[in-house]
Amino acid sequence: MGNEAEKPNIITSSLDFLVNWGRSNSLWPFPYGTACCAIEFMSTEVGRYDLSRIGSEYVRFTPRQSDVLLVAGTITYKQAPILKRIYEQMAEPRWVIAMGACASSGGFYDCYCTVPGIDHIIPVDVYIGGCPPRPEAFFDAMFDLQKKVKDESFMKQRAESIKDQLEMIKAKTAEAKRETAACVREKIVDVKDFMKEKQQDFVKKAQFWKE
Amino acid sequence: MIVLDPNGEKLNLMPLNVGPSHPATHGCLRFLAAMDGETIVASVEEIGYLHRGFEKMVERGTWQQVVPYTDRLNYCSAIMNNIAFCRTVENMFGVEIPERTKVLRVIVNELSRINDHFVCVAAAFQDLGGTTPFMYAFNPREEIMCIWEKLTGARLTNSFARIGGLSRDSYEGFEQDVLAALNSTEKALKDLHACLDRNRIFLDRTVGIGKISAEKAISYGWTGPCLRASGVASDLRKDEPYYDYETYDWEVVVGTQGDCNDRLQVRLAEIEESVKIVRQALKRLAPGPVDIVDPRIRVPAHKLAYQDMEGLIGRFKSVYEGIRVPEGEYYCGSECANGELGFTIISDGSGHPYRIKVRPPCLTQFAAFHELVEGGLLADSMAVLSGLNIIAGELDR
Amino acid sequence: MTVEEIFAALEEKFGVKREMHDKWGVTAIVSASYLHNVVQFLKDETGIKFDMLVDIAGIDYLTYPNHEGPRYAVAYAFKSMENPGARIRLKVLVSEEDLKVPTISDLYANANWYEREVYDLFGIVFQGHPDLRRLLNHVEFVGHPLRKDYPAQKRQWLSTNDYLLPELEKRLETLGYRVVQRSKEVETNDNEFLEGSIKA
Repeated sequence: MGNEAEKPNIITSSLDFLVNWGRSNSLWPFPYGTACCAIEFMSTEVGRYDLSRIGSEYVRFTPRQSDVLLVAGTITYKQAPILKRIYEQMAEPRWVIAMGACASSGGFYDCYCTVPGIDHIIPVDVYIGGCPPRPEAFFDAMFDLQKKVKDESFMKQRAESIKDQLEMIKAKTAEAKRETAACVREKIVDVKDFMKEKQQDFVKKAQFWKE
Repeated sequence: MIVLDPNGEKLNLMPLNVGPSHPATHGCLRFLAAMDGETIVASVEEIGYLHRGFEKMVERGTWQQVVPYTDRLNYCSAIMNNIAFCRTVENMFGVEIPERTKVLRVIVNELSRINDHFVCVAAAFQDLGGTTPFMYAFNPREEIMCIWEKLTGARLTNSFARIGGLSRDSYEGFEQDVLAALNSTEKALKDLHACLDRNRIFLDRTVGIGKISAEKAISYGWTGPCLRASGVASDLRKDEPYYDYETYDWEVVVGTQGDCNDRLQVRLAEIEESVKIVRQALKRLAPGPVDIVDPRIRVPAHKLAYQDMEGLIGRFKSVYEGIRVPEGEYYCGSECANGELGFTIISDGSGHPYRIKVRPPCLTQFAAFHELVEGGLLADSMAVLSGLNIIAGELDR
Repeated sequence: MTVEEIFAALEEKFGVKREMHDKWGVTAIVSASYLHNVVQFLKDETGIKFDMLVDIAGIDYLTYPNHEGPRYAVAYAFKSMENPGARIRLKVLVSEEDLKVPTISDLYANANWYEREVYDLFGIVFQGHPDLRRLLNHVEFVGHPLRKDYPAQKRQWLSTNDYLLPELEKRLETLGYRVVQRSKEVETNDNEFLEGSIKA
């Protein structure tokens, strides 16, 4: 099964195309906005720039309903555990954009309290430079991310995950078998011991009665 | 948690955490509320989620290098912070800036104020569930942003002011652009008032919510529009006038109730006053120099550096060593969009600041947050929060 | 009554000294033991009522050239709402051995957070403060970052988010409530809570 899915054929590649088309044109961002970049993101959302044009129609403020974690602004050490938890709460597939210099590298806050780039905490797909980046730069990053999403193969991932699952199941079964075998062996030994004891008892009893 | 209330009745309270990543906490604020059903019984706030070490970072650079850091205090109106800082240092030098710079600073100050108040009102509407006013408010804001782009080269963090002048003079056609922006500001104000003044939902959610008396607001050290909404006519532009603010024809806007609606209405009315000031200032804008001619304070122009020795030395020294601010300590507050932004500056006479302490207007306002929301509904706390206009960059520095 | 006259009154009554570094305004150096009385005097008894506390700033004079005297100082700025433009500053010198200043959070509501901030950044203890915790830095932070001997780049990771439930209980008690049964989140199982933490 794994081998068949790994080779691209007409069915899997068209399915890939369909899935990626859907995914890349409905990237719903979760704006983790902390600082100046969040204000610039607000400009990106409204009239003049209009983020909805590329399908990021809804800005979702819950990690469970969004695809892209948009980290806009400085992340401090006090915030780091929260960001990590939010990333962990997002469902796969998920992507991360580090918006602005602070999120990418700490920016010009090289200080005791700022994390030097969010990649110390979570993996990042696209970095945007600028302090804060212009809305055009943000759109550029979204297009980059769309390209990245289109390059991914849904079937391949699925096949791999199924393969992984199969291997896991196999490993688990083997382990279980080994355990049962060991268990049975122990039981047999136990029973044998028990029988031996009984036999010895009988022998003792027989000797007693003989005497 | 189970508690006994003051009357001895048993209550089962639910602790509810709001923030730091919450749609209605602009930036990263957090509060933990003890809920009795939908009512907030008690609340505690926690800040510091955007503590970026402003005060530590500025000690490592020269005096001019502080200006970009001040941009990121209140990023909705970055130029105001620049000007507030530069004014403080100029006062320490005891120098008078040229007339044209004064007028230009007044214009950009008031345009920034318009910008800031628009963000606040738009975000408040957004939090209460209205998207249309959000779009209305951002249209003139985008126009002002375009002016910033032409004037300073940046949209948001402009670093426009310099100690002893401005980074550059205005461009050709500046006046027309500003006038056009003012016109669309007035149009947007009309639209916003149409959305706001008789909107039943909006009034129900803001009138009488988050009330604070004038005495309490003063005790909490509130300044700016939030204090004025409580009925105290306190505005540093009138009280301790600078840049000839007293010679312009404008009024201090004062509210009556001190509730959430007043705080937003005061902001909208202040936009009108700012428009008035800018219109008058545009008439006063006469050609002239924008920088002080003193190489110890303001870097000499590029042209001079190539032409004469003095200019070259002045440029070299002020870039490498920094300007030498007179030794001493000084506090000076300026009226910014959120209230009094003050800088306590301690200078040891060298080219680097010894210590700069910012007095953020937001901190005192957010310190009183639990007084405003206790006893109200959870949904009201969002209206209160957006009415206060807490900017995390300024709050935590 | 001008600010200069008030300063003269303070000089007579409490023996305050003029801070010569402040060449632009009026700053009085107050000894810590008189601070509370001086602030009370400024707030209620003078002709100009200094009814707003504008700012509290901590200062560390470790690397200040030619500095004599105690290492730390706390500077208070007040302004009057009735007489616009009247401002006065107070300064308390704090020696390294005795990092203590009396609190004024009973007189001004916003002094609470300002004092917490100074405690956080400089480690100066405000005696009688109702809730002296860190304000800006996280709970696991060691040291006081704005002291001149704290390296600017010394970073400290936070392993898990702080929870505010004990503070909420305190707040409920000040409002007249009595906690009968604590929320079970107060005593979290540390292992469970630390799962997903980022401490290496």
